[in-house]
Amino acid sequence: MNLFNKKYRNYGIMVLFIAAVSTFAGCKDDFLDRELQGQYTLDNYPYPGGSGPYDQFLFGAYSSLRDFGVHSFAFILTTSVRSDDADKGSTAADGGANAIDMDNFPVQPSNGHVNTIWNGYYNLINKTNIALDQIANNEEIPAAPEVKIQAEAEAKFIRGYAYFMLVRLFGRVPLIDRVFEDPAAQANVPQSTPEQVYALIEEDLRFAAANLPPSWSPQFVGRATSGAANGLLAKVYLTQKKWSQALGAANMVIMSGQYDITTPYDKIFREDGENTSESVFEVQATASRQFPTANGVQYAPIQGIRGSGQWNLGWGFNIPSLALEAAYEAGDPRRQRTILYTSTPTTPGVTIYGEVTPVGLPNPRYNNKVYTNPAIRNTVGSQGGWWMNIRILRYADVLLMYAEAANELGMTEEALEKLEMVRNRARAGNNAILPPVTTTNQAELRQAIRHERRVEMGMEHDRFFDLVRWGIAEEALHAAGKTNFNPARDVVLPIPQQQIDLSKGVLTQNPNYN
Amino acid sequence: MKNYLLLVLCLFSFHVLFAQENITVRGKVTDASDGQPLIGAGVQIKGTTQGTVTDIDGNYELQNVPPNATLVISYVGYSDQEHPVNNRAVINAQLGSAISELEQVVVVGYGTQRKRDLTGSISSVSGQEIAQQPNVNPVSSLQGKVAGLTVVNSGRAGASPTVRIRGVNSTNNTDPLYVVDGIFQNNIDYLNPGDIESIEVLRDPSSIAIFGLQGGNGVIIVTTKRAAKGETRVNFQSNVGVQRVQKKIDVVDAAGFRQLYNEQLANLNAAPFDYTNYNANTDWQDLIFQNALITNNNLSISNSGEKTTTLVSIGYNEQEGVIKYDNYKKYIARLNQEIRITDNIKVGADLTGFHFRQQGIAGGILNNALWAAPIVPVQEGDRYYSMPSFQRAQVGNPVANINRTRGNTVDQGYRVVGSLFGEVKFLENFTARSTVYTSLGFNTFRGYTPLPFTVINLGEGGAPTEDFFNPLSRTSVSQSQSQGRRFQQDHTLTYNKTFADKHSVTALAGFTTLFTATSNVSGSRTDTTLVIPRDPNFWYLGIVDESMPMSTGGGGSEIAFMSFLGRINYAFNNKYLVNLSFRRDGSSIFAPGSDTRWGDFGSVGLGWVVSDESFFEGVTALDFLKLRGAWGEVGSALGFPANLYQPGAVIANRAIFGNNVNASVGPAYVPDPNLHWEVVRGIDLGLDLRAIDSKLSAEFTLYDRTTKDILTRVTLPGTAGDYEFRTNLGNISNRGIEVALGWTDQIGDFNYSFSPNFSYNKNNVESIGPNLEFQIVGNGGVNLTETGQSIGYFYGYRQTGIYQTTADMDRVATFPNSLPGDIAFEDVNGDGILSPADRTFLGTPFPKWNFGGNFTMGYKGFDASVDVQGVAGNEIYVERRNATFAVLNYEANRLNAWRGPGTSNVEPILDNTRGNNFLFSSYFLEPGDYFRFRNIQIGYTFGAMENLSKIGLKKLRLSLSGQNVATFSRTSGYTPEAPLSNPIASGADNGLYPVPATYSIGVSATF
Repeated sequence: MNLFNKKYRNYGIMVLFIAAVSTFAGCKDDFLDRELQGQYTLDNYPYPGGSGPYDQFLFGAYSSLRDFGVHSFAFILTTSVRSDDADKGSTAADGGANAIDMDNFPVQPSNGHVNTIWNGYYNLINKTNIALDQIANNEEIPAAPEVKIQAEAEAKFIRGYAYFMLVRLFGRVPLIDRVFEDPAAQANVPQSTPEQVYALIEEDLRFAAANLPPSWSPQFVGRATSGAANGLLAKVYLTQKKWSQALGAANMVIMSGQYDITTPYDKIFREDGENTSESVFEVQATASRQFPTANGVQYAPIQGIRGSGQWNLGWGFNIPSLALEAAYEAGDPRRQRTILYTSTPTTPGVTIYGEVTPVGLPNPRYNNKVYTNPAIRNTVGSQGGWWMNIRILRYADVLLMYAEAANELGMTEEALEKLEMVRNRARAGNNAILPPVTTTNQAELRQAIRHERRVEMGMEHDRFFDLVRWGIAEEALHAAGKTNFNPARDVVLPIPQQQIDLSKGVLTQNPNYN
Repeated sequence: MKNYLLLVLCLFSFHVLFAQENITVRGKVTDASDGQPLIGAGVQIKGTTQGTVTDIDGNYELQNVPPNATLVISYVGYSDQEHPVNNRAVINAQLGSAISELEQVVVVGYGTQRKRDLTGSISSVSGQEIAQQPNVNPVSSLQGKVAGLTVVNSGRAGASPTVRIRGVNSTNNTDPLYVVDGIFQNNIDYLNPGDIESIEVLRDPSSIAIFGLQGGNGVIIVTTKRAAKGETRVNFQSNVGVQRVQKKIDVVDAAGFRQLYNEQLANLNAAPFDYTNYNANTDWQDLIFQNALITNNNLSISNSGEKTTTLVSIGYNEQEGVIKYDNYKKYIARLNQEIRITDNIKVGADLTGFHFRQQGIAGGILNNALWAAPIVPVQEGDRYYSMPSFQRAQVGNPVANINRTRGNTVDQGYRVVGSLFGEVKFLENFTARSTVYTSLGFNTFRGYTPLPFTVINLGEGGAPTEDFFNPLSRTSVSQSQSQGRRFQQDHTLTYNKTFADKHSVTALAGFTTLFTATSNVSGSRTDTTLVIPRDPNFWYLGIVDESMPMSTGGGGSEIAFMSFLGRINYAFNNKYLVNLSFRRDGSSIFAPGSDTRWGDFGSVGLGWVVSDESFFEGVTALDFLKLRGAWGEVGSALGFPANLYQPGAVIANRAIFGNNVNASVGPAYVPDPNLHWEVVRGIDLGLDLRAIDSKLSAEFTLYDRTTKDILTRVTLPGTAGDYEFRTNLGNISNRGIEVALGWTDQIGDFNYSFSPNFSYNKNNVESIGPNLEFQIVGNGGVNLTETGQSIGYFYGYRQTGIYQTTADMDRVATFPNSLPGDIAFEDVNGDGILSPADRTFLGTPFPKWNFGGNFTMGYKGFDASVDVQGVAGNEIYVERRNATFAVLNYEANRLNAWRGPGTSNVEPILDNTRGNNFLFSSYFLEPGDYFRFRNIQIGYTFGAMENLSKIGLKKLRLSLSGQNVATFSRTSGYTPEAPLSNPIASGADNGLYPVPATYSIGVSATF
């Protein structure tokens, strides 16, 4: 065969062409099988063995505790600025209507902060649901039953906390307690009643309390403990006026032997006061030169002094109110520790580190409980204070919850004893101030405990919820000048309009909002 | 070459003396398309051998012409013309190309087709139209040229425009596919406008079906220049121009600011601001803008011999931004070579090298300049004044920002695109062609964070203080590199034959694969002890000791496509046209398994050339009439991430315990197990006609296109913030009309043409999902996508006025907290109160109407053209006015704020605590319609004059042009071209870069 014969050559070309195409076609499956580059999937993730095989999922939930939508601007506005502890702060118009409405009421359904915090807490819930799903269903991860149970308890603690925030902020919320097998079909869950939400919270926290360890090794300091679960459970019961259960849960914390009242009040809110024997649960944060913000939380920076240069420590929101300032008894050192004063031409404002604040800052008062150590600022190379832990639950809170429940149950002596423990520390050895409460009249003692709770925990985010559960929100907030507050509407936030829109109306608005 | 022709023709010409009554006729013969003289054109008296040829200027003189004779003027490649003399002494002629516009071929997928045989909607834009405009990116020049094409330009140096073909057909990526000489690309940023021969815009599903999974959004085919046949040619093109901001945004000056801020504080019952230290009146916009240079240059040399053709070209383009220090430079070199081994075998190669250098600008600088208070002075030496307390934390000094950002990056990129092909013709009718392509991109970036400037804080009361904005900040450097690799192979076999002079068949079978991969690495280090100098020579990671704080990152992706394709074009008697196409496409994006991984796409097109029917013979006014219809189904997976079916594990979240950092893992999203591509299906009906000696051309097209199975991210409402479920849901339709008209004529030496086009598109979301009640919101709820409306429409309250008095408020619907001075909204549902249920459709960000027009004229050496362009039927959200995070400078509209009953029925009271006034409403919308003089150009072409030809110059054209010289719009921003890049969150002006007016001069010379 002559290859140069035109006819043969033509057929040859055709055969070669077809052969070439067939060859390509033959390897088509190999060609199209491509792996993800530089990413694990949940299927091929090399799960670590050992004690915490589910930590990879749980840590995602812990991480979300630091999210902007969870414990940041919206959290500060909705819990603190709405209360009579604080005013908006910053400069008069800063933050716009979204921030100002939190101070003055009513909050609009379109308020971006409301949507942010809704998404933040549901994201947190979702991460706990993923962890619970992995614990229950992922057979690739070898784990002993007790390891599974402890991991489940940890996830349920965080989920219980998230729903407790949501139910107090919004009232009726959708109850999502698992990863849906068919997300599309079950995406749009209507709201449950607060009673149904509380039932899940109690179930989760009881499980957590029963199955979490009382403490962790130093490597994991700050992880959820049985004490944290019981302490939170006490607050859940207290909110529902379940006095004896609240007393029991608080008592579990007190009897655990993990906590005491020895940490000086001044130290509790310093960096070196993090995770002491006072601490029951804190949102953990840290910072370094390398990561000045990534491992921290934007909690302190939003409240830091709004000055310039050295005094540009933050946005200056959430300033202690005159009502809070007036609430302290004469000489109570907790006032100075809670309120950081701007210097005036006649009176210098002195920080806990001895610096003198400048004259002419936009506000006369700032939150002293988020004031950061200047030495750490220098080490980290940041003035923001992203490293500041958030004290969610501390021992004095548990003692006061115990006292409150005991008083309601008529256990006056028990109540007085726990109240005195708190006041005694506040005195810091100065017996001229804060005399012991001695009344055995239940109503008077109730007032005394409420007063103590306010001044002990000023600027610590429980005040609004306390006012609502005590039923005195209207009088207290009107007295503090927030006269727009309407108890028929403002005890809960509006359901975010964006969420109602997304659900195409399956979610319904809270009463008296439109 | 023409000179040789002249010589040859001269040898055959001769002169015959005639009687005295005969006259002498002279005139000039030019090319009708560009007015160029035709050298050596034949001029002959009809029916005789008497004639002459034109000289080097296209002039001729013919003596002894009988007054009643007819001249026949002819030139190779042009249609002959006959001119009765009628005793005229001067007869000029403009010769038109012999290949009528209908006979010209257009590039379609994997081949070409005569324009008259098309059954779909394909428009061509010539390279000349693209190169003429002073744009660094060739896509910019398509604006207004093609019916059904929306181009949104940005004035930012080197920016890629946003391109939409026939509206928005998905909630995901809706960019078209670019096919450059065969290779699939995501953009054509790397091409020099001067290197482009033509651009074809393929719009209908039948034309794009052959492109399979990547063609769903429409296809833009770019053909680059090849050596012209038969001559050695050197071509040099250059234009240089200056860009200017056409209009500034009208913000108040210092006096206006004082007035409005005082008023606002009074309305808030707040203490007045102490202006003692703030006495400046600064126009921040003036300080950040500049007149900016733009230049495009291209030199190409081509040669075409018997065996080989070669083209080499180099190009250099530079664009400065109208914002200071914004700069983009690109360098392009091309080599194209073709070797004909035998008559039937040819091979060729194409190589393009591209390099860019970019200087970025400070982020958000435009809003910064609009928002900064005008009462603050700029600087004192190298110390800058900081803003007053009410905006100090949020708004920086704009001049400090641009100066601090200036030159802090070394941002460069390289791209090499090459291909090799071999083509064999055999058995007379077969052509086999194989091409392998590669496109390699490599970008490097180095960045520097300088120390903060010293600021002077004037303060309120008291003396000014001097400070750093952040005294703890340190210098740092970052370095990153990324590479993209793209390999493609196409193998096609074409069969072309006409049977019995009636049945003409072209059949194509092909196989193609495409592999794309990316990888990137990045890092940064901060020096906590040393101050790294502000000098790019130091900006490498290694300059900082590795014990210092650092971070690194890296990632990559791989995607593969494989396809089998086929097409049959059949014509009977040139009258009845049938075009069929098919593609089977598989991709690694989708899960293995034949149902999910492989898809089949195809189209049917039918055409009827009515004017070729015998019953049409008597109709002389109409030269050509074709009816066409096409149906096609194509996939859309362009821009889908690699391995979509397999969510990666997110490991970015870290749990902290004490000071210990612990990594975590979670799924990025939840995939539907049957995730697949989007399906685009549509029909196209059209009518093409040419009439009045082909002076009039018209194309009318109706289309109806639907995308189904849209890849949707359902952010499970109520369940989880950013945790999303990805599935295929929903249908979106686009229906519309496209009209392109043309008129070309000449009157003596004067020729002109007018070609307007317009298109109308109606977008409708037919459904966003049958089994799921949800809506898709964008831009914080401003844009809503829901069944029965246009995609991403503006959803909010409709302003009816301003509440003037409490008595006024008793009569109309209000919010519970409404007050006089607030915006009054329409009670849409009529329940007597205002609530979120009163939000309604306020308009769409996408223009319903696009129109353009091109008017050209030529007279002897002069030519002129005017391009106009515009859109209508859309709205723009003036988002920059809805910022409430601090006290910001006011735009001039606020001077008319409500100050008591009867003062304004448009502008609400100055009080930013009145939240209702910041609800998204029609108050924040402006009509997006505009009409623009896109390009005005005049040029003069010097013919081959003696002195020019001495230096070998064949042609020289000089031109003056103005781009965007006038824009008529009702928007308050710099430009009415709001971004349309995100389908579900479009149309917001939140610091839009000005689209400048450009005045340039150009030169084009051919040797």
